[in-house]
Amino acid sequence: MFVYDKKLQYPVKIDKPNPRLAAIIISQYGGPDGELGASLRYLSQRYSMPFDELKGLLTDIGTEELGHLEIVGAIVHQLTRNLKDAQIKDPAFAPYFVDHTVGVYPTAASGFPWSAASIEVKGDPIADLAEDLGAEQKARVTYDNILRLSDDPDVNDVIKFLREREVVHFQRFGEAMQLLREKLNQKNVYYMNPAMDI
Amino acid sequence: MDQKKERPGWEGRLPAMAPLANPYVPFQLEDPPKYEARKALVRGTLFPGLDLPFMGMVNQKEKPVTPLTELQTMAFAIQELALYLDTHCGDQEALSLYRTYQELYHKGMREYSEKYGPLNHATPVTGPYRWLDDPWPWEYCQNQEG
Repeated sequence: MFVYDKKLQYPVKIDKPNPRLAAIIISQYGGPDGELGASLRYLSQRYSMPFDELKGLLTDIGTEELGHLEIVGAIVHQLTRNLKDAQIKDPAFAPYFVDHTVGVYPTAASGFPWSAASIEVKGDPIADLAEDLGAEQKARVTYDNILRLSDDPDVNDVIKFLREREVVHFQRFGEAMQLLREKLNQKNVYYMNPAMDI
Repeated sequence: MDQKKERPGWEGRLPAMAPLANPYVPFQLEDPPKYEARKALVRGTLFPGLDLPFMGMVNQKEKPVTPLTELQTMAFAIQELALYLDTHCGDQEALSLYRTYQELYHKGMREYSEKYGPLNHATPVTGPYRWLDDPWPWEYCQNQEG
């Protein structure tokens, strides 16, 4: 089960409201490569994983991603605190505001609501781990793009942390793929589906 | 520059014979170089070899030392070592470091919860019900302690 710890994984303390930036960063809350999808992808894929290392890694990274979801939510919340009238009317923020006010809603920056279609659970460990490697790279690029778009030092401090986590997770998923191949110990790893046939 | 000599821990191990049509990420070598825990938190990794920033954008300043940031620092080191141990369960150095940080975490948690209230519903705290005390984790302001 999950137990809530009343602390963030990484401190978020943002000085200046900036709804334009919030409207971009919301993509890592509920966008196609965001933290909600990441956590649900890994926590759902683990059921069909055949080996303890893979079950453990998907559980641990999936849980960390839930912590990242909370961090991104905290950034969006703090960027939309105490808004002035002109900031609410900013054309970059008004479309979000009209539907969600200053609530935090899982949507992409484009306005497309979070969709399970942006994640995959194929039920084959090689296919799923290959998806995870791609997912970490896509999330990493999203954070790169946020760093290009944002000049707020309080926000960028946290974004750099989240971005680096994607690099570390990519490394671990790559190692998990190698562990899987070593355990299968056969020339053709595509001979069968290790989730079903061993 | 011989990067391997200059920056140990930047290279990993690939299988000697690698079947075709498989993706490969080199294994991080055992007992890799590690940052001190406070630096690890702001860099987003415990391992210098995996610290690969975008366009040189790097957090240089460590977080001010408070009971909460100490807890975050220890929890982060534990998390990073847990992911490492998931794929390197035989690394005894990492396992002993993981246990050292666990001890520090529990010590920090006791100090934190006595001062600021429980971290979760299983934290033993005496006196009134303090779970609802401000601030909630997403509500901090700049320069606010914690």
